[in-house]
Amino acid sequence: MNTIIIDGLSFALPLFIMAIGGIYCERSGITNLAIEGLQGFGAFCGALFAVSIAQYFAGNSPVPFYLAMLFAFLGGMLFSLLHAMLCIKFKANQVISGVVINILAMALTEFMTKQINASIFGAASNKFVLGVSARITVPVLSRIPVLGAVFTNLYPFEIVIALIAVAAWYILYKTRFGLHLRACGDNPHAVDAAGIEVSKVRLIAVMASGALSGLGGICFAYSISANFSSNIYSGYGYLAIAALIFGNWKILPTLGACMLFGFARSGGYELVKVLEMPSSYQDLVMVLPYVLTLLMLVFFSKKNHAPKALGEIYDKGSR
Amino acid sequence: MKKSKNNLLHKLILQTIGHEKRQSYMIPVFTIILSLIFGIIVIALLGSNPLGAYCNLLQGSGLAPKASYAGHKGMITDFTSFLNALTPMLFAALAVLIALRAGLFNIGVSGQMLAAGFTATILIGYSDLSAVIAKPLTVIIGFVIGALAGALVGYLKHRFNINEVVSTIMFNYIFQNVISFLINTFYVDPVSRQSKNVGAAGRLTLVDVVIGDYKMDIPLGILLAAVGIAVTAFILGKTTLGFEIKAVGSSVRAAEYAGIQVGRTRVLAMMLSGGFAGLAGVTYYMGYFASIQPKVLVSTGYDAIAVALLGNSSPVGIVFSSFLITVISKGSTYMSSTSGVQAEIASAITGIILLFSACGAFVKYKVNRWKEDTK
Amino acid sequence: MSDYIIEMNHITKRFPGIVANDDVSIQVKKGEIYALLGENGAGKSTLMSMLFGMYEPDEGEIIIRGEKVKIQSPNHATKLNIGMVHQHFKLVSNYTIAENIIMGMEPVKKTLGIFKSVDLKKANEDILALSRKFGLEVDPTKVIEQVNVSMQQRVEILKMLYREAEILIFDEPTAVLTPQEIEFLLEIIRSLRDDGKTIILITHKLEEIKKIADRCAILCRGRLIDVLNVAQTDTKTMANLMVGREVSFTVDKPEPKYGKEVLRVEHLTVRNEDKYEVVKDVSFSVREGEIFVVAGVSGNGQIELADAIAGLMKPSSGTVTLNGADITAYSIRKRNLAGISYIPEDRHNVGLVMDFTLSDNLALKSYFEEPFSHKGVIDSEKFTSYGEELIGKYDIRSSQGNDTIVRSMSGGNQQKAIIAREIELGSSLTIFVQPTRGLDIGAIENIHKQIIGERSKGKAILLISLELDEVMNLADTIGVIYNGEIQKIADARTLTPSEVGEFMMGVGGRHEKK
Repeated sequence: MNTIIIDGLSFALPLFIMAIGGIYCERSGITNLAIEGLQGFGAFCGALFAVSIAQYFAGNSPVPFYLAMLFAFLGGMLFSLLHAMLCIKFKANQVISGVVINILAMALTEFMTKQINASIFGAASNKFVLGVSARITVPVLSRIPVLGAVFTNLYPFEIVIALIAVAAWYILYKTRFGLHLRACGDNPHAVDAAGIEVSKVRLIAVMASGALSGLGGICFAYSISANFSSNIYSGYGYLAIAALIFGNWKILPTLGACMLFGFARSGGYELVKVLEMPSSYQDLVMVLPYVLTLLMLVFFSKKNHAPKALGEIYDKGSR
Repeated sequence: MKKSKNNLLHKLILQTIGHEKRQSYMIPVFTIILSLIFGIIVIALLGSNPLGAYCNLLQGSGLAPKASYAGHKGMITDFTSFLNALTPMLFAALAVLIALRAGLFNIGVSGQMLAAGFTATILIGYSDLSAVIAKPLTVIIGFVIGALAGALVGYLKHRFNINEVVSTIMFNYIFQNVISFLINTFYVDPVSRQSKNVGAAGRLTLVDVVIGDYKMDIPLGILLAAVGIAVTAFILGKTTLGFEIKAVGSSVRAAEYAGIQVGRTRVLAMMLSGGFAGLAGVTYYMGYFASIQPKVLVSTGYDAIAVALLGNSSPVGIVFSSFLITVISKGSTYMSSTSGVQAEIASAITGIILLFSACGAFVKYKVNRWKEDTK
Repeated sequence: MSDYIIEMNHITKRFPGIVANDDVSIQVKKGEIYALLGENGAGKSTLMSMLFGMYEPDEGEIIIRGEKVKIQSPNHATKLNIGMVHQHFKLVSNYTIAENIIMGMEPVKKTLGIFKSVDLKKANEDILALSRKFGLEVDPTKVIEQVNVSMQQRVEILKMLYREAEILIFDEPTAVLTPQEIEFLLEIIRSLRDDGKTIILITHKLEEIKKIADRCAILCRGRLIDVLNVAQTDTKTMANLMVGREVSFTVDKPEPKYGKEVLRVEHLTVRNEDKYEVVKDVSFSVREGEIFVVAGVSGNGQIELADAIAGLMKPSSGTVTLNGADITAYSIRKRNLAGISYIPEDRHNVGLVMDFTLSDNLALKSYFEEPFSHKGVIDSEKFTSYGEELIGKYDIRSSQGNDTIVRSMSGGNQQKAIIAREIELGSSLTIFVQPTRGLDIGAIENIHKQIIGERSKGKAILLISLELDEVMNLADTIGVIYNGEIQKIADARTLTPSEVGEFMMGVGGRHEKK
């Protein structure tokens, strides 16, 4: 039971932070199918930085990890500017832009990983080895029966994510900027009429989405895969999209959806272990979140209301 | 001063891509030139000779002679091998194209390829049927399985309003994992860690055919692909179904108003799209190759998006664009071995082409605006 | 210093093809209600758009409070204390009234001394106070999508007041309101004036001007005709000046010759996406050679009624019968084949595939039939020859004929293309929904002639119109719709325009019922 909660959370939270980014972007009216590529590119930047500075730190030092998070954050933000440029400036089809960015991110990071490994580190490898982040257990709280598992064997990034998530919630629902952002997704003309620049709000929203996606990506790199390689593109970004649709573009319900994914996955793995099935059955368990996503979409796609102006190209002149 | 320079640039651009009729191919050509320049810069920065590297791409695709060949090999060997790789690409591009025309984005081509290829492998590839029966059956099974997978996506969109991008991606992962499980559990070759090779009877490529002094692989699928392109061009240009697909792709509400059944049209378009993806699958897994590597989705389905966008979503256009993209991807292995540039640069350049193609609509819009201004 | 708060001198504004304002000069005093009167396309809205910074005039100057200004944007106008209520409200549907009003200048509080957040409590209080002051009766905590149009309009007024606007522009504010709501609005406008605000009212309704305006400028086809003191004039003089003597809006219409019944609608009820009944138990019938006009103020269910007859919306109960056959369960295609032509309200998103060529659009409803296609294969030559035929017959103008992408065509020619296609179907019933909306006078006359022509051919016509003039000019029979219900069906000759107007407001025929 404990492992299910511990592993489930460590999967759900990075997913959640990416989904929050997606909510920011989509609530501002920009369709974001690029989360997958953004998280990969962010993770690439973080991992590259961590690998390059690793020699200056002791093997168990947590500093490279935190710096990696920072650089993943910035890297994702940087790459998201492409999406912003295509969608806001060039008024391209937002779905096409998202798909293009995913493919481009995959191709670029794969190429650069190999090239950098070959020419700088002198190794023929298609990954940056990172290891798994250290875990911590909160002293008193972890003693609570059942729920204590939440505070046991935590990855430090889970705490960071929780803090950012609270801040993101506060900004979106309580501040002036949040008010403007959510209005952009419903009626950009009203925002424009109030003297606020729609494209600026949307630019910031897309960048936030890139940054949070990058953060989520590096967390997966430091936990599930323990390295950066093309394996990072396992559809996490799409799961995040499904979660936010399921969560009706609201932060708290989206958290619930992410938890569901996390626990379904960790529960499945636990089942394979308990029933002593061969490891190839893990492939079947891996399918669970994806099947669950489709089922959830079947039930919720029609009922939930996407932001009204989502995907519409905003042109000042037209009404 | 700056202004006059700008004007000169405007004039130059207007001269080249200003003409509306020529835009349909001038903009893609511009895109390609820009991307190739990007590639030149990157390769030069990496310390290799860009022109040499590009030459290697052509040599690796059998379009230019290499310095030396091993026994029984020659340019023709490389070229037939290139055609072998081109075949699934053409089908995959058709799959993307026909969905795109209906306003749908099929990024599940890779998964549909895998599903069709795997089904054909276990049903025909591992059977003792004679070649005359097995080969047509492979084609039929490929088409049917792909069409079913595609139709399901269309149905989910129509009935439950599920974004096809999300559902196709989900199916990609589901196919990938389930088929990997099935291969590892039932069909694995312990040495290669892939699925066991299919028999020659059902395979769509004739392997090691000796013609004259050369040994080569002859892809039968390329003929089928040519037919596929002609059929697609005919459907889109000359049939009522094509008219309906294009109407739905341009404006759902207007199509509905005109009495077109939008849901049915979408499902049909996705069925055709999936069917072509299935043909890409069998020509890939039971033609170009003879086995399936578990847990891997081929990049063909994604490259095909670049091909379709670059080819302006026109059946004739994709002949040229898939040729180009296949030269880049097929030739990259040889380039990597001779000039030391990582083979992955091929997909990076493809990605850049894709990025520039996505800007195409904007370029067109801007250029036409300038044109009006100068008037 | 002049006595005027606003002076617009010698303003000229040209758009491709037309001169929207031709040397117009107006002067408005502080604290007066100044009306701009004119028909659709007279240039009222363009003039005010320049005052509000949405366009810049090609010639002329604007002087506000004695200072010459160049108003570059609506933001700039707001800074000059100018506010405008547009015809289309600009509101965020899922926000509360308060959130909509404060957007852009939110009051901020600090939680725990550091975290800044929007102070909704203060906003609610401020707005409530403002609302009370001018008698607006607005509850700031209600969500926009749950309040009616009249309330939304008052939210727009509050938006201006919250931004301390001194000059308030109203663009056709009563077009979407019921009579009681209009009374209420006029009351509010008066109380604003009494508070010292300057008000400019764009309208084409004479009674309103007579009721509240101090002065009235009359525009006709871009030119300023006259400025009148409302107290010293009567509505008849204003009407004559507004219409201009040379344009006659009466259409030559022969006596009707009715044939057999074509369309019968019985107890039709339609619900919208939110399950709200927008058409309630509507029954009527249309005969051959008859123009049946559904008259009503915008948003009273007439669009949904037309959609339900054409098959674009499913009715929740009731029947539609065409030439004796029950077509309620028919698909859109089957209805077209059974004899319904439909000119929809939204010509851009519904009536045309904008990225298709003109010839493809002209064949949009017949491409699947002989001789346009044989067994699913299209005959391109037939498309071309048919396109050329219609282009000639209906005088559809475009840059490249058949091959023109319709997106690049003008609105009038797009509408011509739709009408050509629908008339050529030869259907027994043709539904026109606001066919002349947004078109210039020449195009309007042309379309009216075509409608009469169809009637002479013995076709049944169902016309949905918001324009009282159009209703009175064309109708053989008038059915007035209000709030989804048919208020009155009568022979057009037995009704006066003011009677129809009353029914449109839901107040007609009260004395009859008694």
